Amino acid sequence: MTNPVSRREFLNLLGAYGGTSAVLQAGAALGFMPSSSQAAEITLQANNGKKVAILGTGISALTTAWELTKAGYGCTLLEASHRPGGRMFTVRSGTVIDEIGNYQRCEWDNDPHLYFNAGAARIPSIHSNVLKYCKELEVELQVFVNESKTAWVQDDAMNGGKPVRNTDYSSSMQGFISEMLSKALGDSQLDSSLTESESEILLSMLRRFGDLNEDMLYKGSTRAGYGSGGFLDHGTKKDVVALRDLLKARNGGSVMVTTQEGTGSGPLLMQPVGGMDRIIYAFANRLRDRIKFRAPVTEVMVRGDGVEVAYEQNGVTEVLKADYCFNCIPSHLMSGIPNNFPTDYSEALNYIRRGRAYKAAFQAKERFWEKENIYGGITWVNAPIQQIWYPPHNIHGKKGVVLAAYNFGGANYTEMSQEDRIEDLLKHGEKVHPNYREMAEKPMTIAWHRMNHMLGCAPRWARDRGGWSDKEEQMYETLRQPVNGRHYLIGDQSTQHSAWMESAIQSAHHALADLDQRVRSEPA
Amino acid sequence: MKKLMAPTTLFLSVLCSATSLAAEGDIGVAAAMDDRYCTTCHGVEGLGNIAIEAPRLAGMEAWYLKRQLENFRAGIRGKHGEDLQGNAMRPMAAKLSDESITDIVDWIGDWEYVPAKTTIEGNVRQGRTAFQACAACHGANAQGNEALGAPALAGQNDWYLLTQLRNFRAGFRGSHQEDTFGSQMVTMSKILRDDQAVINVVSYINTL
Ligand SMILES: Cc1cc2nc3c(=O)[nH]c(=O)nc-3n(C[C@H](O)[C@H](O)[C@H](O)COP(=O)(O)OP(=O)(O)OC[C@H]3O[C@@H](n4cnc5c(N)ncnc54)[C@H](O)[C@@H]3O)c2cc1C
Repeated sequence: MTNPVSRREFLNLLGAYGGTSAVLQAGAALGFMPSSSQAAEITLQANNGKKVAILGTGISALTTAWELTKAGYGCTLLEASHRPGGRMFTVRSGTVIDEIGNYQRCEWDNDPHLYFNAGAARIPSIHSNVLKYCKELEVELQVFVNESKTAWVQDDAMNGGKPVRNTDYSSSMQGFISEMLSKALGDSQLDSSLTESESEILLSMLRRFGDLNEDMLYKGSTRAGYGSGGFLDHGTKKDVVALRDLLKARNGGSVMVTTQEGTGSGPLLMQPVGGMDRIIYAFANRLRDRIKFRAPVTEVMVRGDGVEVAYEQNGVTEVLKADYCFNCIPSHLMSGIPNNFPTDYSEALNYIRRGRAYKAAFQAKERFWEKENIYGGITWVNAPIQQIWYPPHNIHGKKGVVLAAYNFGGANYTEMSQEDRIEDLLKHGEKVHPNYREMAEKPMTIAWHRMNHMLGCAPRWARDRGGWSDKEEQMYETLRQPVNGRHYLIGDQSTQHSAWMESAIQSAHHALADLDQRVRSEPA
Repeated sequence: MKKLMAPTTLFLSVLCSATSLAAEGDIGVAAAMDDRYCTTCHGVEGLGNIAIEAPRLAGMEAWYLKRQLENFRAGIRGKHGEDLQGNAMRPMAAKLSDESITDIVDWIGDWEYVPAKTTIEGNVRQGRTAFQACAACHGANAQGNEALGAPALAGQNDWYLLTQLRNFRAGFRGSHQEDTFGSQMVTMSKILRDDQAVINVVSYINTL
């Protein structure tokens, strides 16, 4: 590769002068640690005889049912699908993916290591309530490796389309960023905003962060591995990848923040041994007789003294009468189910939009990535497949399941045929791993927008990227209040941080606290 | 693709022994095996779902449903990049067998016709005048006319009628060369001068 660009070129390239000092000033305003997250203590008043109808079996519904059952309430769960768990869905040998117009049955080898978390896959360490239930219900957890420096970064525009190791990308990028910042520190404007000792500490941090030399220049780093040697012989540094070459990759932002944005936890994430649905089945096995499967709700009527829920089973309509109802049916599906909710409540329900997400996976004939020194983590591809994940479990086993695509929002996978989806993932994957096509057995795909009884990935409240409008905040509050003190909407749809299991569980806790308070204040 | 089962067994789902993984026990491992998916999007008994933008199916004529399902399947409808709702529907129908289409159309025929709620307000009087041209095919009461291939419009979700008229006018629907009836609508919809005229005519249909 060519020589790195000069500092001047780099600064010109990014127009970085103003930007850099702005970032530093913003940084000076921070300095607060978020309070550590604690699992909730649920202490419901023991209750015998109250009946509760729970609609759907998402994690929020199962949490509700579990807590209420422990407290002595009589719960019935109605689930439209043949399986519990909604968006916590694991695909393995025999699993049916009930995507509308794209029914698939998984024919992978029957082996507990060979599974694909088609929905939720990762648990951050601050999601205390998810972790609390894993502990309580004895769901075994293991570490999930989200970032591997030996995984790849690929963009057709960079390095002639040949993949670059994550470490080559990230070490060099860190080096250049540090070099640029340390030089900007000499700038009088910036200098004046920092004390001498602050500058000194910042500089020493930058030197380590970027692996800069004595002159505060980036001249390559052994972090990127050695060009040759390194064990029996002296290691030689690899050539520096030119900044200009790195800047051809448009997915660099993802590479640099793989440690998970927005979760507040580091690269350490967790997963249940054997698949995310182990959590679901830990609940469901304890509640088993209370769950009715293939029982779609067809009407919800809130009355003065309770709730009447109609559902269909084996072609017959039944009515369930209960004192209370907890409902995690996705809002966009609830809009198509007759109900007598107040107008403002219905309007708020109809307002929420559904996000798109697409995942795909295959069973690999061999653990080919291990031969490339990869044992987990994510390869970033600048194509609609976006990501390739390698299983961090069962290292050196015979086969493994590779996540071959994970796309949020964009692309047209929802509309694509299964054949086209498979060709697409193979075509992009083989730019990274030449033997990919040959290694891929029985790819499975899932477009959440077409999943029966879900039709979406995560609820989307804010229409504007800038944040929630006042009207949205108001509608959200409307949905957080129970209708008539009887009907509670739960699930990540009634939280302000959707697409997390933790949010869904906390929505249940919020509703349970409200119910408990009402029950306690009832005359004995 | 899925084989359609004999009608008598359609409601009984086939149990497949999904997996031997013990933790799952025997719960929730069966899968329904027919193509009766419509209500997930189109609402209970096909009453329509505004949040999905999926229109009311209850009350739609069997012949019209069949033709549209076949058009979606063949990519005659729902392929234009700007026909967003059609794009969503097309893949759902892409793999349907003839038997499945017949079964679905029969099933929909069982649903009770409930006129949709009104959500659009325009100038009904002007809409009424414009509707005279529509009435030639769709009938004076927008009750539809099978002989002319024109479906009923009365009672349909007004937001759906609006989208479809806009799509016809823009050529997002009806431009496929094999879409005989759709192309007639592309021509006819141009009678409506502007978007307000479209809103007006839909408002008038709401009164029928
Ligand atoms: C691709 C993807 C990746 C994700 N990754 C993560 C992750 O890494 N970590 C994380 O914490 N979270 C993740 N999430 C989010 C997480 O899965 C959800 O926030 C959580 O599972 C939502 O639970 P819920 O209780 O809201 O119910 P849902 O899971 O939405 O369940 C809704 C239930 O309602 C049922 N239903 C629908 N219609 C009817 C009806 N008419 N009658 C009866 N029942 C009905 C459905 O079948 C379903 O069981 C991910 C989600 C997706 C899709």
